[in-house]
Amino acid sequence: MRVATDIGGTFTDLVAVDDNGKIIVGKSDTTPNKFEKGIFNVIEQANIDLKDIQMFFHGTTVVINTLTEKTGVKTGLITTKGFRDVLEIARGNRPDLFNLKYKKPEPIVERHLRKEISERLDYKGEVISPLNTDELNEILTYFKEYNVKAIAVSLLHSYKNDEHEKQVLNYIRTNYPEFSVTISSELSKEWREYERTSTAAFNAYVKPIAHDYLTNLEQNLIDKSSCKKNYIMQSNGGTSTFEIAKKTPINMIESGPVAGIFGASILGEVIDENNLIVLDIGGTTAKCSLVENGNVKISTNYHMEKTERYAGYPLKVPVVDIIEIGNGGGSIAWIDDSGSIKVGPKSAGADPGPIAYGRGGNKPTTTDANILLGRLALRNFETSTSLEEIKNKFEISLGKQLNTKTDDLAMGIVKIANSNMLNALKLISVRKGYDPRDFTLVAIGGGGPMHSQALARELGIKKVVIPSTSSVFASWGMLMSDIRHDYSQTLLLPARGISYKEVNSVYDEIIRKAEETLNTEGVEASDVVITKSLDMRYEGQEHTVEIHVPYENIDENNIEEIIKNFHENHDRMYSYTLPENELEIVNIKIQALGKLEKPKMIETDTEEGTALKEEREVFYEESGWIHVSVYDKNKLKVEESVTGPAIIEEQSTSIILHDGDVLQKDKYGNLVIEIGGQ
Amino acid sequence: MKSYKTNPFTYEVIKDALIATGEEMFIALAKTSMSPIVYEVLDYACGLTNHKGELVTQGNGVTGFIGMLSFMVKDTIEKHGDTIKEGDIFIINDPYKGGGSHLNDVGLVMPIFYKGQLISFVANKAHWTDVGGKDPGSMSTNSTEIYQEGLQFACLRLFSEGEVNDPLLKFIETNVRHPEISIGDLWAQVASLRTGEKRLKELCEKYESEVIIESMERFLDQGERLALKEIEKLPKGTFELSDLIDDDGITDDQINIQIKITITDNEFICDFTGTDTQVQGPINSSYTGLVSSVRTIFLAITNPAQDINDGAFRPLTVIAEKGSVVNTSSPAPTSMYWESMLYGSELIWKSLAPYLPDKLTAGHLMSVCTVIMGGKHPDKDGDFLIVEPSVGGWGAGNNQDGDTGQFCILDGETFNVPVEIAETTYGVIIDEYSMRTDGAGAGKHRGGPGVIRSYRALTDNQFFTASYGHHKLNVWGSAGGMDGSNNEFLIEKADGTVDGPFGKYNQYKLNKGDKVVLKTATGGGYGDPKERSKKDVENDILNGYITVEQANRFYGYSR
Repeated sequence: MRVATDIGGTFTDLVAVDDNGKIIVGKSDTTPNKFEKGIFNVIEQANIDLKDIQMFFHGTTVVINTLTEKTGVKTGLITTKGFRDVLEIARGNRPDLFNLKYKKPEPIVERHLRKEISERLDYKGEVISPLNTDELNEILTYFKEYNVKAIAVSLLHSYKNDEHEKQVLNYIRTNYPEFSVTISSELSKEWREYERTSTAAFNAYVKPIAHDYLTNLEQNLIDKSSCKKNYIMQSNGGTSTFEIAKKTPINMIESGPVAGIFGASILGEVIDENNLIVLDIGGTTAKCSLVENGNVKISTNYHMEKTERYAGYPLKVPVVDIIEIGNGGGSIAWIDDSGSIKVGPKSAGADPGPIAYGRGGNKPTTTDANILLGRLALRNFETSTSLEEIKNKFEISLGKQLNTKTDDLAMGIVKIANSNMLNALKLISVRKGYDPRDFTLVAIGGGGPMHSQALARELGIKKVVIPSTSSVFASWGMLMSDIRHDYSQTLLLPARGISYKEVNSVYDEIIRKAEETLNTEGVEASDVVITKSLDMRYEGQEHTVEIHVPYENIDENNIEEIIKNFHENHDRMYSYTLPENELEIVNIKIQALGKLEKPKMIETDTEEGTALKEEREVFYEESGWIHVSVYDKNKLKVEESVTGPAIIEEQSTSIILHDGDVLQKDKYGNLVIEIGGQ
Repeated sequence: MKSYKTNPFTYEVIKDALIATGEEMFIALAKTSMSPIVYEVLDYACGLTNHKGELVTQGNGVTGFIGMLSFMVKDTIEKHGDTIKEGDIFIINDPYKGGGSHLNDVGLVMPIFYKGQLISFVANKAHWTDVGGKDPGSMSTNSTEIYQEGLQFACLRLFSEGEVNDPLLKFIETNVRHPEISIGDLWAQVASLRTGEKRLKELCEKYESEVIIESMERFLDQGERLALKEIEKLPKGTFELSDLIDDDGITDDQINIQIKITITDNEFICDFTGTDTQVQGPINSSYTGLVSSVRTIFLAITNPAQDINDGAFRPLTVIAEKGSVVNTSSPAPTSMYWESMLYGSELIWKSLAPYLPDKLTAGHLMSVCTVIMGGKHPDKDGDFLIVEPSVGGWGAGNNQDGDTGQFCILDGETFNVPVEIAETTYGVIIDEYSMRTDGAGAGKHRGGPGVIRSYRALTDNQFFTASYGHHKLNVWGSAGGMDGSNNEFLIEKADGTVDGPFGKYNQYKLNKGDKVVLKTATGGGYGDPKERSKKDVENDILNGYITVEQANRFYGYSR
């Protein structure tokens, strides 16, 4: 038995797979002050015997919550002399261009707790002035006096040479073991001092809290079950052991949402689809991400709390590339000052929720619009609200002002919601030079299947897949994951005409480090899979393109292949190449996987009875109100097909088939929809 | 109210697509540019206009270009009218008309036709690292004629029906320094326009052209309506103010600039009549520069969060005498134009700050604080060239202390160059990048500290040019808050002697070990310092923002 639990703001989810491949699902309330309680509650509620657990996966919001609520520990920062204000000066950008009262993100470390030491490296990593550890005593005494618990150390050019940072670390460990210490070079080996310092400071800030949380949970697990294989979900779509997660908790920042994206890539393997666009529509937001050749896209350009008008805090850790927009089932439709109709980003949330919930919500939401259009059945909601009531509230909030009929209004809201999601989907596909027609859309979350077919049509996507475990897909993804660590090292070398020995030896060194780490995590050498890549650019450019390196070593022969690949990718992303220009290697990167054994997948059971539930009136944009058949998802037989227009219902959501769409259930219970038929 | 044929939902979808197109063009340019001034400083803008040249949407990196694109397009229509063909691209950087600023800002304009009908224009404008002229980087603090500042493109055909004008390209290549960068940026600009063209054609494909044209018009009308709504809320009447610009870089004379603002129920008129005539040095601003500067503060006052288009500016009128320092004519030099242009924002900001404390803070650093430095990299072949603005302090507001380390109002989504990247790329040493805690800007809310950044040369024969405006006067405090400080730089030579402080200097020679120390202004304070809470003052002392002595003197603090 392997078990995955995912702590969210409201619920703690569980998905487990037993030795026969049978999937078990559980849900219970999150217990904010004692998270592990919620975890054991949900295990108990799912009737799982703790003794049967052989592998345990865990995703948690404890890190992101601590950071956004600013409830970490008191943290001190040590920098190179002359640079203690790096967190406060930051990058100087003002995304809210015309707001003269813009405030940049406040530094997480107060100025008097930012201390400098004498030491200096040049850009090559060579020592200009040696480190003076004598100065540390005074700094650390000061930190103690002010009750500092954690220390971040970030020195200039440490991405090139981490010796000074390590010396500081050793000094503190030896002489002041009471401090929890983070050095920037253990988190990121890329240039840009503000970003690296910010990453180190936030890791330090959350480390003692994550440490206690993980230690406590692990202890409980060991006490109650015999499970020794315990893993934590990280933002790169892979897992790590508890021990590693305690050192670099910042890697858990987005552990929840990425698991779903990773799950989609695994599902893709099963159903033989390598190129996927994943769309996850929840109550408040929609998230999307692109999977190319089975690979989830990772970058280190993550900014916590960033919005269109706020710079946010950079964290240079590998995070799956996800675009998230404020558009979900609960998104509210409203009219702005200019008279334009908008949907989201404000959401009615779970409470009061859409009008249909009957909990006092009186603002029109996307969910309400889908009900008015006959796409969702009001009787599936446990509510006393009537259709008339919803109509009235639409009329009052919007209809009068816009002078439109309720049907058109509801359709208009869905259209605008779709347009918002379409823009997000284009951001990850068309705008990056990918043709959506080469991709399959995987729709997850409560709202995914309701909008996915219309969106696929707009993008020219031919196939949509709705996974059988759609509602708990993130936890399912976790069960399928491997241990994963990503490493990146800034080098800055010309791509041609160099001795590749240096590049290869840096690769070797990083790989050795990765293998060592995986070894401490109990991974056999035969289960280690290393993938290499390079960030490259035309000389003088800033932005880089990541190119895979499928070779043992880089040499004079295969570099031309790599360069050719670079030109092709540059052309795809930016629609031109500069074949005459020199190229640079900026970062070398590896992805290290420790393969974990995967659970079996079994074929689906079908409930007895006919799938056809009823016929009802449903509104489509092209045809207006038409009579369509409504089916029960759980009663659809494997390989049974349904042709649109039709509705397939589940407890909390509906799958809308448009004219000509053909849906079929595969043997695992996934629903595969050919858009417009084949 | 006007009525429109397109239903409100379709309109909304089209509007979103138009805005997304502006953004996409913007990102495309940054990602492919060759110069840090574009990809880090984001000193460029991209947008699209309707077929009449009215700006519909603009992707912005800096505020300083707001509205320049439409002037460029309108000039193109005026010059080439009916001869404009599908596939044409025009190149334009004329400072005296046509949306010009200084010669470095090179604009491209491309018409979009669908089925033979002119639908729209796409345009962009980017700061080229070099356009020729007497000094590297094409910006000087002592040029006296435009001819010393580089090439002038008076709206020429760069592409004719899709065919590139090779002789023109070759001509540019041979007349600029670092042609691979400037030509590289030119291609990045072309790629960005073509992205815009592609998206607009897709839209026309999907909806009728008439629907697109009407939607653009409607978007402009909405912009106007929003602006009028906000003007209604403003204090009515006339407001007059004058100020002094440091100097023109040639003589030491200060330059008078003045404004009369008239706000009525539906108009916002800014009249700069009476401002001194254009000067010998390169601080003259084009009329479109002035207009962009005024528009920036107008948006800050009316509605900082709205989508920006020309409709919002319909109630706004900007008057300046031709031949004055803020509406310059040929052949006055303009390479440091922002030193006068900034006063377009500043005078309105300062005049209205007492009336609009929820929107307007005390004075900020008030200069782009441009640095241009070049010479030989110690380890690499070829010369390096730094062209960058500097961050400084912003003023305090009625409910907040001022920010530190931000660029001036005419910048925006502008990024400083990280020390690790600067040292690698330029081969200099930066000994310090820290806050200038000079204690200026005391107030109930404190001004944000300026910033100190230094560059130490590692080879001989380097040059350093900088324009640090607002050097002679301190920036202003508001509502009883104290003034902030000024911008200045000095040279610490290897032999221990110090030269300066200066506000402007052209081509200072640096040898190995010589160091430039750049200091930007601390912003003005807001409200009586005596009203600052004891706790805040003690916190400021603890954090080294002020000294105990300053706490006593300005804040009346005693333990």
